[in-house]
Amino acid sequence: MNHYNTLKVEKEGNVVTVYLNRPDTKNSINMQMVNDLTNLMDIVEDANDVAVLVLRGSNDVFCSGIDFHDFSLDKEQNIYGLQKWEKMCRRLERLNKFTVAAVEGKCIGGGFQLVLLCDTRIAEKRAQFCFNEVKLGFLPGMATFRLPKYIGLGRAKNLILTGSAIKADKALDWGLLDKVCEQTIFSETLKETIDCLLPFHPVALEMGRRLLNECYADTYENYIGHFLAAQNRAINSEAFKKLISLNVSH
Amino acid sequence: MSINKESTFISPGKRPRIVSIGTANPPCKYTQEEVAQLFGEKNPRILQFFRSGHIKTRHLYLPELVNGIIPEESNQQLIDKHFNGALELGSLAINESLAPLGLSPYDIDFFCCLSTTGFLCPGITAYIAEAMKFRNNVYRADILGMGCNAGLNGLQHVTALTHVNPGKLGLLLCVEICSAAYVYNDNLYTAVVNSLFGDGVSAALVRQNDSDTWEKGPCVVDFESHIIMEAIGAMRFELDNNKLSFYLDKDVPYVIGANVEKPINRLLGRHNLKRRDIHHWIVHSGGKKVIDAIEYNLGLTDYNMRHTLSVLKNYGNLSSASFLFSYKELKREGIIKQGDLGVSITMGPGITIETALLTW
Repeated sequence: MNHYNTLKVEKEGNVVTVYLNRPDTKNSINMQMVNDLTNLMDIVEDANDVAVLVLRGSNDVFCSGIDFHDFSLDKEQNIYGLQKWEKMCRRLERLNKFTVAAVEGKCIGGGFQLVLLCDTRIAEKRAQFCFNEVKLGFLPGMATFRLPKYIGLGRAKNLILTGSAIKADKALDWGLLDKVCEQTIFSETLKETIDCLLPFHPVALEMGRRLLNECYADTYENYIGHFLAAQNRAINSEAFKKLISLNVSH
Repeated sequence: MSINKESTFISPGKRPRIVSIGTANPPCKYTQEEVAQLFGEKNPRILQFFRSGHIKTRHLYLPELVNGIIPEESNQQLIDKHFNGALELGSLAINESLAPLGLSPYDIDFFCCLSTTGFLCPGITAYIAEAMKFRNNVYRADILGMGCNAGLNGLQHVTALTHVNPGKLGLLLCVEICSAAYVYNDNLYTAVVNSLFGDGVSAALVRQNDSDTWEKGPCVVDFESHIIMEAIGAMRFELDNNKLSFYLDKDVPYVIGANVEKPINRLLGRHNLKRRDIHHWIVHSGGKKVIDAIEYNLGLTDYNMRHTLSVLKNYGNLSSASFLFSYKELKREGIIKQGDLGVSITMGPGITIETALLTW
């Protein structure tokens, strides 16, 4: 397993758990973390023995948002670092494994963005979610693209433009989270969540998730073409062939 | 879970480069609605092919109207259309490719011409060599009937010749006057063809020369082919009242989709590359369904296919000529950087999937 300065990575069976791990800065996101996550994505994508990637914080915080130490007043600001972040986000969103966000404590800015990218999102009761970027004078990345699809434009405007925080229960209510539990049973809840995702059929996962991610952004005429191409791939996959052979033999 | 290896692509050393390209289309451009109207089409099932929306316009050589509609063209008229189109558009595309290099037809050492939409003897290379004053010792090859994938088959030939003859100039010319292979009847198969294919010619100059740099164009690193032999009849010419009529099976997009990973994995695998390492995808604009199938089977997006989709939208399917139109769009975009990697994919009868690895 590679060693990362900003992440702690564990593998148990076919589940890889990534802990955002910058204790001095409450797991804030710097360029090093973006590079580490990108490298990890390469490894997980190529690993045949991984089915699930879990994203967690550490030390009772999920993530405190962007680390401003990467910026300097001595040079003109440019967009390229943030573009690299978005590229990494897209990789995570389209990863060929199940992805789970497991949130404990505060989940701010870029951390909240990471949560939106995952297939399943759970939190313990004390977790809080907030996009504070507009309040601070910049933008919460492509959360402006993804958040309204989860919770509707009105609620998304309120969260992003006012920077107000919401608690886990409300996030559950709004469909941002799939499960909320007491912190004492967080590990068990996470395990149950992972078990619900399996078995892992990579083609069906990739195709299904891609269609879902595209569903708001396309016309029916385009989408039906995409669906047919995706379904054709799924019904020619190993998983579907196995299903048919089981049914035929019964 | 294994430790990730960084991409270990090794630059191929001296390889031929596509140093310039040119394209040409007939002067008349038609919307899909105009074409349907000019053919006097009323059948709603046929009209739906013209209204699918993925193609907006096509450049075509259509005959003079008689009583407001397009008259049926004789076999001889179709042969003449192919011949005249090949000469007119071929010369334009070749001159466009030569101009930036300050070269003339006299400088061309190897000349390979592809066409599926007409048959001539002597071949197109002879007629063009004569018309444009090529040297009389130019090496020539006319490749006929290979279909939409042929652009990369021709590039294999020109690349091989220029690789073993450093400094020599190779010309690849893809001539597709698809309107010379239109048959108009009430058949849905011919309606698909008539609503899809457009006329166009593309030219590429290939040379292995130490003084050429990445700004001129990509090195052609490698090729990988794939033929799906059990689908040999899925795309073919048939005779319809003594005219060649192209038949396109409805399963073609799905068969290509289900197989496209095979040559791509072999091509990238032997260069230690992953699909995520590829910066540019130059894909034949076969039609919306086959583009969808390739996207979903290779994990590519509409952004990866933007030039393929825009060529389809603005020109229709230009058969073997189309992939160089997509490359031209990519070049015009101005985002290519030194060291970038590209993959080209062309698909056609056989069913054939041809692939090429490029590096800038």
